[in-house]
Amino acid sequence: MSGSVRVFAQYDRDFDEVCDVVVVGSGPGGAVVARELAAAGKDVVLLEEGPPFTPDDFELDGSLSMARTMREGGLRTTRGTSMTTMQANALGGGSLVNSAICVRAPEFTLDGWCDEFELTHSTRADLDPHYQAVEDFLGIGPTPDAVQGPRNLLFRDACDALGYSSEPMPRNVVGCRGSGECFTGCRTRAKKSMDISYVPAAVADGARVYTSVQVQRLLTRGSRVWGVAGQVVRPFTGELLHRFRIQARIVVLAAGCMATPVLLQRSDDFANGSGQVGENLQFHPGVAAMGVFAEETHPQFGATQGYQSLEFVRDGYKLETLWAPPGVFAVRLPGLGLELKKNLAMIPNAAIWDAIATCNRSKGRVRARRRGLDPALTWRLDPKDLTVLVEGLWRLAEMFFAARATRVLPGVHGLPEELCSLDDARRIQTREFRETDFTLAGNHVFSTTRMHGDGRFGVVDEDGRCHETDNLYIADTGVLPRSPSVNPMLTLMAIAHRTSQHIAARL
Amino acid sequence: MLLWLALLALIAIGFRRFLVGYPAPPVGVTALAAREYETARAAAEVIYPKGGPIDASGDTAHVAMHSDRFVGAQTRSNRILMALLFIAVEHATLVFPARGPRGWRRFSSLSPDQQLAYLQGWQQSELAPRRLVFMSLRAILTMGYFADAEVLGALGLRPREILSPVLEVDLLWPAVGQHPETIRFTRADVTGPGTSTPLGPSGSVHRDYR
Repeated sequence: MSGSVRVFAQYDRDFDEVCDVVVVGSGPGGAVVARELAAAGKDVVLLEEGPPFTPDDFELDGSLSMARTMREGGLRTTRGTSMTTMQANALGGGSLVNSAICVRAPEFTLDGWCDEFELTHSTRADLDPHYQAVEDFLGIGPTPDAVQGPRNLLFRDACDALGYSSEPMPRNVVGCRGSGECFTGCRTRAKKSMDISYVPAAVADGARVYTSVQVQRLLTRGSRVWGVAGQVVRPFTGELLHRFRIQARIVVLAAGCMATPVLLQRSDDFANGSGQVGENLQFHPGVAAMGVFAEETHPQFGATQGYQSLEFVRDGYKLETLWAPPGVFAVRLPGLGLELKKNLAMIPNAAIWDAIATCNRSKGRVRARRRGLDPALTWRLDPKDLTVLVEGLWRLAEMFFAARATRVLPGVHGLPEELCSLDDARRIQTREFRETDFTLAGNHVFSTTRMHGDGRFGVVDEDGRCHETDNLYIADTGVLPRSPSVNPMLTLMAIAHRTSQHIAARL
Repeated sequence: MLLWLALLALIAIGFRRFLVGYPAPPVGVTALAAREYETARAAAEVIYPKGGPIDASGDTAHVAMHSDRFVGAQTRSNRILMALLFIAVEHATLVFPARGPRGWRRFSSLSPDQQLAYLQGWQQSELAPRRLVFMSLRAILTMGYFADAEVLGALGLRPREILSPVLEVDLLWPAVGQHPETIRFTRADVTGPGTSTPLGPSGSVHRDYR
């Protein structure tokens, strides 16, 4: 059986559909659910607000790429502590424009989830079969040395010199050429983003995929949901056109940790007797620094994020390498005029590494705005979590000098623009920082519809089913009860895999 | 009567300060108003002057033109915020005057030295919101600067030519906005995964950046 894909140019009127399961969102959660259910012989409709991209559609210019592939043009920010956060709007969701990192959550983290959130079958041993299934499907493996490039290998050398553990980044990439273009779309097609992996597999198994359709509300009767409704949306402009309605026995929301709560709030606060919908918003805020080396690093080449260190995961942060479109990271380089140009000229000899922190004490909320589906985000960085980020920044500086960097540009207000030695870098440990001194970014987002064994304190159970309803499920990072300590994509896909098995068994 | 005259004078002064005297932007500018374009152009030239290790300046790298495209690609609410950003930078000389004579003039009318000192004041301010405004402005302009092939070339960062392999999935949908009838591939064109030869500095430069 073969399904279908509809694109914007094919919509010329309102339409209705009927199916077993409608999945809202084609990111790593929704795509897995859609494929697994289609493979199980269920009649699946997958809805995606963004368009499908081809390599011809990828914009090499970082800013225009952001404007085309990200919600709110890539300029979404939190209030409270101001931090940028990006969510994709494309077939495949964030997997189209992320760096493909796939790391299993540590055992201690999942044990902590079980203890704190009254979960009975979410230990590492419980999730391992689901992790394995996803890893096998996507060909997830460590990044080979051949495509690391100097800036990733310098990270490994630094860890070795300091005795810190490190490993090549496990990624859903097969045949990487080290183009460093993960964030603007992989032109080599090596990255197995959802649009070229799980979504076509779902189509092959009979799923009907509708792109450029915006779900605006759930159709409910009492405590049951019987479908979703919305409008066709023109790519890039947001213009709303024809209306549609999808009737289904089961609805799976996988619209993302920010859009899903907004959708529930817009649907008369459906499934929110606990008051937890949109609460507990968490991020992995990240800080990055640039090290400059005597030799050229050709930073443009090599896997975007090829190496990581989990040495300090128990302390609340993870270290990794990073590359981004130069116009994006150059924003943080110090100076103006010719002084700035002098700093820019160091880029060919530079490496950028970052620290992302679990920040479990720092929470916020998602609220629907008066109009539209974009969320109002409030979030505040807890002072204790700030100290973890400062510690992460110090480790980065320590590592840069261990790798024989000649200077480090921390990009933090209140620190010298250049740190020229390890002694110089010790200022990071001694200075008192405020949250506003840092330029934070937080693109891992979770917990706004969190999983909890007790329906008074969470939105979904361990199978992803909303506590208050029989046939509404959630399969995006909103269900993670708190930080998975590492990049969340693989854990989300494993949980979505489990959710799909549960749904298949009951249909 | 006096009050009315004062009010009229205030309106006239405001009109002159905020709207009058801006040169017309080049043909092709569609999203930025003339005053916004001039603010972007002046700021880009101060942040990225001609000379130094990368010769291109804000003007020669067409940063303001790129900003126009970037703003044009944004949502309505973002465009409003960006318009406020340009107003803030252009007219906050009334609150944070530039050093030197007539430092309260609008930003784009200050001398280059005054403009540099004024923007440094924003960049190094102890007021976090003021630094944030500057960071936002610089983000827009920096992304424009790095869209220029000459700038990227000076740093060895020009994108490389990549021949994307044709996959089965390419038979499923067309380029964004196109009808499926425009899909130019057939099953015979499917190449499967392409070469996995690592890319490097010796690779040929992408045709749009030569």
